[in-house]
Amino acid sequence: MFETVAQAVINGLLIGGIYALVSIGVTLIFGVVKIVNFAQGEFVMIGMYISFFLATQFGIDPILSLFVSMPALFFVGVVVQHFLIRRVLGLNDLPQIFLTFALSLLILNLALMLLTANYRTVHTWYSDEAFHLGGLYIPVAKLVAFVLAMVLSGTLWVFLHTTDLGKAMRAASQNRDVAQLMGINPNRVFAVALGVALALAGAAGSLLMPFYPAYPLVGQVFVLMAFVAVVLGTLGNVIGALIASLLMGIAESLGIQFIGADSGLIVVFLLLLTTLAVRPSGLAGGWRR
Amino acid sequence: MASTKHRTSSKQQNRRTFLKATGGALVAGAFGAVPLRGWAADPVNIGALYPTTGSMAQIGVGCVAAAKLAAEMVNEAGGIKSLGGAKINLIISDVQSDTTVTRTETDRLITSNKLSAIHGCFASALTLIASEVAERAKVPIITGSSSDQLNKGRTYTFTPFARASQFAQAQLRMSKLVGDKPKVAVIFENTAFGTSTSNGLKGQAPAEGVEIVMFEPYSAGFTDASPLINKVKASGANALFSVSYLNDLILIVRAVKQVGLNIAINGGSGGFVIPDFYKNVGKLAEGLQGVAHWNHDMSDDAQKVNVEYKKRTGEFLFEYAGGLVAQTFMLADALERAASTDPQKVRDALSALDVSKGYAAMAPGGKVKFGPDGKNVYGHPVGVQWQNGDLASVFPKEDARAPLIKT
Repeated sequence: MFETVAQAVINGLLIGGIYALVSIGVTLIFGVVKIVNFAQGEFVMIGMYISFFLATQFGIDPILSLFVSMPALFFVGVVVQHFLIRRVLGLNDLPQIFLTFALSLLILNLALMLLTANYRTVHTWYSDEAFHLGGLYIPVAKLVAFVLAMVLSGTLWVFLHTTDLGKAMRAASQNRDVAQLMGINPNRVFAVALGVALALAGAAGSLLMPFYPAYPLVGQVFVLMAFVAVVLGTLGNVIGALIASLLMGIAESLGIQFIGADSGLIVVFLLLLTTLAVRPSGLAGGWRR
Repeated sequence: MASTKHRTSSKQQNRRTFLKATGGALVAGAFGAVPLRGWAADPVNIGALYPTTGSMAQIGVGCVAAAKLAAEMVNEAGGIKSLGGAKINLIISDVQSDTTVTRTETDRLITSNKLSAIHGCFASALTLIASEVAERAKVPIITGSSSDQLNKGRTYTFTPFARASQFAQAQLRMSKLVGDKPKVAVIFENTAFGTSTSNGLKGQAPAEGVEIVMFEPYSAGFTDASPLINKVKASGANALFSVSYLNDLILIVRAVKQVGLNIAINGGSGGFVIPDFYKNVGKLAEGLQGVAHWNHDMSDDAQKVNVEYKKRTGEFLFEYAGGLVAQTFMLADALERAASTDPQKVRDALSALDVSKGYAAMAPGGKVKFGPDGKNVYGHPVGVQWQNGDLASVFPKEDARAPLIKT
């Protein structure tokens, strides 16, 4: 019994690390730019395809292709901010929502057209391997993904708290007008926020590639969990999103183990609704960002 | 978009054939002495409805390649002799993996062409619609789709291969090849397809003497198969039936390997028995079992077609595409006997079909004869196993071409 529970927790924690990378991106954009990026999942998908093509064309390990997918998507983020999001920031919520939603549909359908709906997998030497500890097992690819996800999240936290640019981003997220009065250029800060958020999505894609098939709709699978984590962990709160993602992974895994294999999402959404009823501002509501 | 592409290409084809025909007539007129029969045999129009775009495109494209190959084979062998060597003219239409498009395309195909018969659409959901339209227009349709629904209240629909209800039985019997007392875990996606297939397995298990120790629906498109496989491990099963689409199945197979679980996996039919499965899963696919309505190693004829198909596409001739080649020859056989392109006469000839040799008889058991419900009375599925990157027929005994490898 203990073994089964422990294994379920390990499984949940590992996949939670991936949810974290996606949800931190969403929450960062929301926190700084005050816009909900519905297209975040599609950028994960782009990250996956970048890693897929680098692996199949040049034999580059998907994990190493982080060094390509992250800068590439950082650049995409800056471009999206500069040419699209910047234009609608002064308007009300609706154009902003439709902008990222349209972007999501556009990328998704372009991918279906150009890449077809086929599943693509990359097979690395560690894709099917696992460490066995007693009766427990830890898949290598997922462990690598989890550790790197935590490293990236930690790096982001350090960046936000120690660098001027990071502090400027936090300042802009707390109060845009005051930050502007303090001489912070919001456009620059927003562009960096978008870039960093998309780079995290790209990282999620590259880290997924050794153990998850890429296909145009793959982003939708992960973005749903990311949105729940963002709300659960208090909108705009990076650490909150991280903790919420890990909790959700564990809740989903325990639900599958002990309630039923089709209950994963039920458990996750129950967790969300309960949290909202008890703590409407999310788990980290009122905490320092 | 793709449909318009197809439409224009078929229009071009029509123009080309028109030019050829009129050009031929002019030449014939000019020289006066060309015997009429040499060119005058009107081609026989066969409609081919397959999804070549959308979510089912992958298999649909393979089907079209097989349909073209089969038509060429018939034509190169001299066409339909009783019709003066008439060639088969394949009219391909993209049904876009969509039921609404299937309805309109089937209708359009029938009304804008003089069709003798139709084959399609591989996915049962689409074939059910196409067959309804064909029934109303009284044009015979022949299909490899497995839904039992296709045999209810239809007179123009013919299904030469195993029915869905037979697949479950074959799968249960295969589990007994693995051990005397199979303990089966059934996991299935919580969709119409998953639920109906798994209920079929559950319903027939007692009669087959197979114990089901776990029966669990899961949410299709999950992010992680490990919790589910953790559960299978706890159930103590020695055989796993997974009713899943490719994406989930890849994750399931990998998780089984990572857990280090020693269990015989049977993935059923569909996405499990196509070349893409092996490409995606790789070596881990070795030893996995499934069921199919057709397999390329069944007979010498099948192997011959397989070689040609492989030359053209680089892949082995998969279940549905192979069955489709056989179906084309069944249509050719019917046309030969009908000596007419009239759909009603072709339908009557099809219903009297009785073959046990040649390409038309490429089916498990090697015989095809239609009952009053349009079912092949000899139809049954074949159990297959991935061996050395290829699908080998392993069940039942009379169709087995290789022994089952116990994993």
